[in-house]
Amino acid sequence: MFGSIFTFEVRRLLRSLSTYVYFFVLLAVTFLVALMAGGAFPDVKFDTGGDKVFANSPLVIDAFFGQINNYIGLIILVAMVGNAVLKDFKYNTYSMIFTTPVSRLSYLSGRFSASMLVTLLVLSAPAFGMMLGYAMPMVNADRIGDFALAPYVTSYLYTVIPNAIVFGTIFFAVSLISRDIFVIWLSLIVFFVANGVAGSFFGTLDHQSVAALADPMGNFAKRTITKYWSTWEKNHLLLPLKGYFLYNRLLWLGIASGIWTIGYRYFSFSAAPRRISFRKPVAAEPSKVSFIPSMFRRDSLPVVHRSFGTGALMGNLWGLAKNECLTLLRNVYFRIILLFGMLLLFLVSMQMGQIYETTTLPVTYQVVESFGGTFTLFIVILTILFGGELVWREREFRMSNITDALPVPNWAFYTSKMFGLIFMQVILVGIIMLCGILVQLSKGYTNIEPLLYVRYLLGIVLPDMVFLAILSVFVQTLVRNKYLGYFIVALFYFWNSVFAPLVLKHNLLVFSSNPAVVYSDMNGFGHSVWPYFVFKLYWGAFCLGLAGLSSLLWARGTERSLKLRITEALTSVNIRSWGLVTGSFVVFVVCGGFIYYNTNVLNDFKTNTEQEKEQVAYEKSYRKYKGIPQPKISDVKLFLDLYPSKRALHVKGSYVLVNKTNTQIDSVHVIMPGKLKVRNMALGKPYKEVYKDSVIADYRILKLESPLMPGASVSLDFDMDMVTLGFENGFSGLATPLYNGTFINNQSFLPSVGYNEQYEISDNADRKKYGLAYRPTANKINDTTAWQRNLFIHDADFVTLDATVSTERDQTAVAPGYLQKEWEENGRKFYHYKMDSKILNFYSFLSARYKVKKDVWNGVNLEIFYHPGHEYNLDRMMNGIKKSLNYYTASFSNYQHKQVRILEFPRYATFAQSFPNTIPFSEGIGFIADVNAKETDNVDYPFYVTAHEVAHQWFAHQVVGADVEGSNILSESLAQYGAIMVLEREYGEERLRKFLKIEMDNYLRSRSGESEKEKPWAYADAGQAYILYQKGGIQMHALNKYLGEDSMNTAVRRFIERFAFKGPPYPTTLDLIASIRQSTPDSLQYFVTDLFEKITIHNSKITDAKRTATNGGYAVDLTVQFEKNYADSTGKEVKATGDSYVEIGVFKNRSELISLNKYKLHQGVNRLKIIVKERPYKVVLDPRLLLIDKNPDDNEFKVGKPGELAKISRARSKH
Amino acid sequence: MLQISNLSKTYPNGVQALKDVTLDISNGMFGLLGPNGAGKSSLMRTIATLQDADSGSIVFDGIDVLTNKQELRKTLGYLPQEFGVYPKVSAEEMLHYIARLKGVNNDKERNELVKALLEQVNLYNHRSKFLAGYSGGMKQRFGIAQALIGNPRLIIVDEPTAGLDPAERLRFNNLLSEIGENIVVILSTHIVDDVSELCNDMAIIAGGRVVKRGNPEGLLNEYQGKIWSKRVAKDEVAHYQQNYQLVLSKLSGGKMVVHIYSEVDPGNGFERERATLEDIYFANIS
Repeated sequence: MFGSIFTFEVRRLLRSLSTYVYFFVLLAVTFLVALMAGGAFPDVKFDTGGDKVFANSPLVIDAFFGQINNYIGLIILVAMVGNAVLKDFKYNTYSMIFTTPVSRLSYLSGRFSASMLVTLLVLSAPAFGMMLGYAMPMVNADRIGDFALAPYVTSYLYTVIPNAIVFGTIFFAVSLISRDIFVIWLSLIVFFVANGVAGSFFGTLDHQSVAALADPMGNFAKRTITKYWSTWEKNHLLLPLKGYFLYNRLLWLGIASGIWTIGYRYFSFSAAPRRISFRKPVAAEPSKVSFIPSMFRRDSLPVVHRSFGTGALMGNLWGLAKNECLTLLRNVYFRIILLFGMLLLFLVSMQMGQIYETTTLPVTYQVVESFGGTFTLFIVILTILFGGELVWREREFRMSNITDALPVPNWAFYTSKMFGLIFMQVILVGIIMLCGILVQLSKGYTNIEPLLYVRYLLGIVLPDMVFLAILSVFVQTLVRNKYLGYFIVALFYFWNSVFAPLVLKHNLLVFSSNPAVVYSDMNGFGHSVWPYFVFKLYWGAFCLGLAGLSSLLWARGTERSLKLRITEALTSVNIRSWGLVTGSFVVFVVCGGFIYYNTNVLNDFKTNTEQEKEQVAYEKSYRKYKGIPQPKISDVKLFLDLYPSKRALHVKGSYVLVNKTNTQIDSVHVIMPGKLKVRNMALGKPYKEVYKDSVIADYRILKLESPLMPGASVSLDFDMDMVTLGFENGFSGLATPLYNGTFINNQSFLPSVGYNEQYEISDNADRKKYGLAYRPTANKINDTTAWQRNLFIHDADFVTLDATVSTERDQTAVAPGYLQKEWEENGRKFYHYKMDSKILNFYSFLSARYKVKKDVWNGVNLEIFYHPGHEYNLDRMMNGIKKSLNYYTASFSNYQHKQVRILEFPRYATFAQSFPNTIPFSEGIGFIADVNAKETDNVDYPFYVTAHEVAHQWFAHQVVGADVEGSNILSESLAQYGAIMVLEREYGEERLRKFLKIEMDNYLRSRSGESEKEKPWAYADAGQAYILYQKGGIQMHALNKYLGEDSMNTAVRRFIERFAFKGPPYPTTLDLIASIRQSTPDSLQYFVTDLFEKITIHNSKITDAKRTATNGGYAVDLTVQFEKNYADSTGKEVKATGDSYVEIGVFKNRSELISLNKYKLHQGVNRLKIIVKERPYKVVLDPRLLLIDKNPDDNEFKVGKPGELAKISRARSKH
Repeated sequence: MLQISNLSKTYPNGVQALKDVTLDISNGMFGLLGPNGAGKSSLMRTIATLQDADSGSIVFDGIDVLTNKQELRKTLGYLPQEFGVYPKVSAEEMLHYIARLKGVNNDKERNELVKALLEQVNLYNHRSKFLAGYSGGMKQRFGIAQALIGNPRLIIVDEPTAGLDPAERLRFNNLLSEIGENIVVILSTHIVDDVSELCNDMAIIAGGRVVKRGNPEGLLNEYQGKIWSKRVAKDEVAHYQQNYQLVLSKLSGGKMVVHIYSEVDPGNGFERERATLEDIYFANIS
């Protein structure tokens, strides 16, 4: 029985065209993806987890193979396996089959295994697509490694087959239970969304083992294995079937067989499915009543008035639309999706705005953005689904026979349905607001801004949804089959939101798109409102046209071929509708023209390629001037007028340029950012402008009539405007002055002197593409010519600054320095700032409607300029400043200024940056953090970020590194060191552990995605933030613990003393290392080498620990498997030699230490005995997280009694 | 009132549904009798503005139906051959919905109308139940109620009694008989009794053509005395088919009865049979 059902089914599927279509679609999609990943399209960048990770590395193959089958493949599974039994109901063949003597088991298992087998064959298509794609000649050879079959096979065996079986089983069981294909689709959608959201929810470190098991696709499980893989490992290792990945596969195959059994049990050979009924009781009349005299009198029907005018219909639309909307709201599936969506919203709210696993306060914009983002997907799904439903409902329920013959014009049908759909969307959007407010209240947050909800939801979220509704109904009007319509709309939506922006680039071409709108508490919707409105008008007109066409082509009557409908639409009856379509088209074109004028004529619109070509031109034209002797800026005097409401500025000023070289300088090269209009630019000595051109930047060569002698100086005067014209295609954030919250630094609007490498293309893969020479990511550390300039500013050393800044009356303008004078003139506010000491030529100007919180620390004025309403964390920041000043002045050197100011700026960028005595701090980090002081699990990052930035007043502004590799350590890693020490003092080692653990994970994950090559710490590039910040912080902290706080701080102090405010030549990391080595005993010199010169990665663990009672205490015998490796720049590891000192802690319970000492360990197995006074609970290797360890979780071991078998269950850390 | 002239229609799949149909229909109940596939529904749908004809014209009370559909719809009541209902919608809600679409905009008037209609078709007690739960007869009565909204002057009722049980059918025809005065009602059916019970005018349609036209009385008179019947064995039917103008053969109490058409007494054991519409129907469609 089974055999014949199986073979019949397999043959039928293999004869069916759709099987081959599925195969081909998968093949084609993967082929394209492979081409993209292989770099065949120069404009499309594809991240394979590091630039050096091959597009055909085992991990990437597995990702493509798995993911494509997880999405398109699941749809195919529904169609093939989900339908394996359902088709008998669809075609009514069930009555014939169920009455044969075939057993339920052989029928179901025959159908299932046959459809599963054929589907599995189909799902192998991506492998062939990739093989084909990677073999194409147009792929970039640098992106492809040698061909190997094994990755394809393992991926198919470990990922594709188990996933297909799991999901096939679920769909099959659902089909047996529900007997409704719609329910299967629904379960698929629910799964997709849940998986996506759960992914972000379980993404945190604490949940990773849960996520690894709970994800039926096994992606999280794979991630636990591969997340720290280096480039070399990614290119060479096959994904091993072990650990969580293996458990996950077994678990889900087990669950699948359980589900199959349930489906099998539930299914019976009967016509009617067992189903829970929601229906009202059926109305029936007794049939024996054979004759009742009819009381029907047509004449007695009440006389009604009827009207068919447009006005009357309009009046009626409300009622009709309400009707349409009600039918949607009554839909069971609608309710299920809705409930599900709301559930997810509450899940999302628990993780809102996390930074360092610490959430933000539920401020309204945060809530509405994160909810809007999550829930929009549901609105999209419901809109597409019910757009089709509304169009097809009459026909599906055969109601169209009645309604089509009613005296209603097409447009009335169309409009009522569209309004019904829009009602639904408004209700959904209202639910976001409702849930948002509930979440805010439940968290005890009461500053609810209902108006902001309304503006965001109705203004930003709804229009796109309405456009989608119109589009989706339009498509449904044209097609002959609802599902085809769904498919087309879903495909279009996917294309439009994912690929269209990449391929078409301009918002004019991407349906429904607009320049981004970013809300900021400080700047509101700011300058993004007007362009948004114009773009929405543009797409709105387009959609109105579509709406007109939809109503013209509305399918009516029994013959619905498109040709007939077009003929019908063209008759003169429809003159008004055509008028609407034409009118919309005109508005569309006019708006489009206006937009084009703004984005491409008034402003520059450049694609990436165009931008890069300009950079190439710049480099080719001017690089020849690199390194020619140029004077340096020594004094700066500025008059800056900010016009926030016009988003413009005017600056007049002068530099004093000094020839610090020992040769004559005959011409001065001046570069200005391209968007500036230069009114005047002149040297203070006779000169001639010999060259002036603008490629990206305005480049001028001013030739002096008599050369500038060594030591001589000349002034450079300038007078320039920055104006904002119209609007751009993209959102421009901090680049120009803003209505409220201007933050602009000198490099973005003031001239610089000498060739500037910053305009060059830095990515070496791109440079190769344009035929440019390889550019080292940084100068070599021993390049002594580069020691002559500092890391940040090439055209100056330390300068004096005198700035007069004016702004609009209701704002406060701030520049570095001390306020000398403040006055009002012509309705504007003026501030004169002057710096009392020399500073780096790097400073910022801010202007906003600020409130100020003030305090004093040892004669230093402390000020926080903040946006009214953002008071939440001011005390933490203020405390951060004080504690920092305490620690840094005591440990390093005196503070060079008499004030510290923190200034809030809009969240268009989320960072804080330290300028001399001035720290701009984004409203997006810290100001709205929800730090819970008692909970040990979160990190007080407002405090921490403040400490880091204050530390920069020392590390960057007192000592600054030379322009060579590794110099960022002198600013970033040292600032990180300061911040960690302040954090530890404030919160203790226990809470610091949480922070270090996150940093450790971050470092290990980031190095896995390294795009060039990982450098040892001492030589890290400016772009390698994960080394400078994460690894830097951990290792500085480790040095502190290994050398002792005093020795370490003495080393830092010595370094500062030698180099503060000096240069050129500027110090390098080698100078810091030398100072540290001077404080390091011989026994630990190896340790300094490990940290700075090598990439040291541990993979140690404790494999056994037993206690024995001794008189007066306990002895712990433990076995440590010590493994220390050195990685090369690709991550390939070799075993290190020599002994190491490692801390081992003995705990008497989960968190209390009774012994912490360093032990000398050698590679491999070490047996130790530790004597303690109290009864030991667990031992932990390196409990303070001083060493980089790939797997810190196995560093703990619960202490057992002797003779006890080693327990596999290790005490899992809860910190 | 309703003039159908030279109406022809061929479907894209090649089936010629209507062949040069010409009918002139005046007020009253008009029966359109024909077997399945004869073109009845095609004709009905064309009159009801749901599809177009290839050639010919339909004029109702001065309205050119094929070019001015919207105008006809204002005065049309249509009960299609088969119609479904939305799930989870009650009869009352649905009538309101259709009344709105038929231009009854005044809420108060519409309420009264819907109430009266529900009462008159005996559905008032079931008004808030979902239509999907209605029995066949109730559903057809609902269908008539919706068709009557807006005081139509042309009502098209397409095969209303197919699938109803005898009691439901009686009840439905009883209702139908009351609406046929002063307006045009076209009733299409393949059940001969419906026509004989209800109609004062009729046509028989077969193969897309009108094959017989007249009023039931007249037609019966025409055939009276020319129908003869005889009980025969099953294997003899073929013989009678060859030698006589066989109208129909049917089972009666397990034996075969044949009806033949003959102007004169055919003898041979035939007995004169009282002519029924059934005989006329079969005589014309074969």
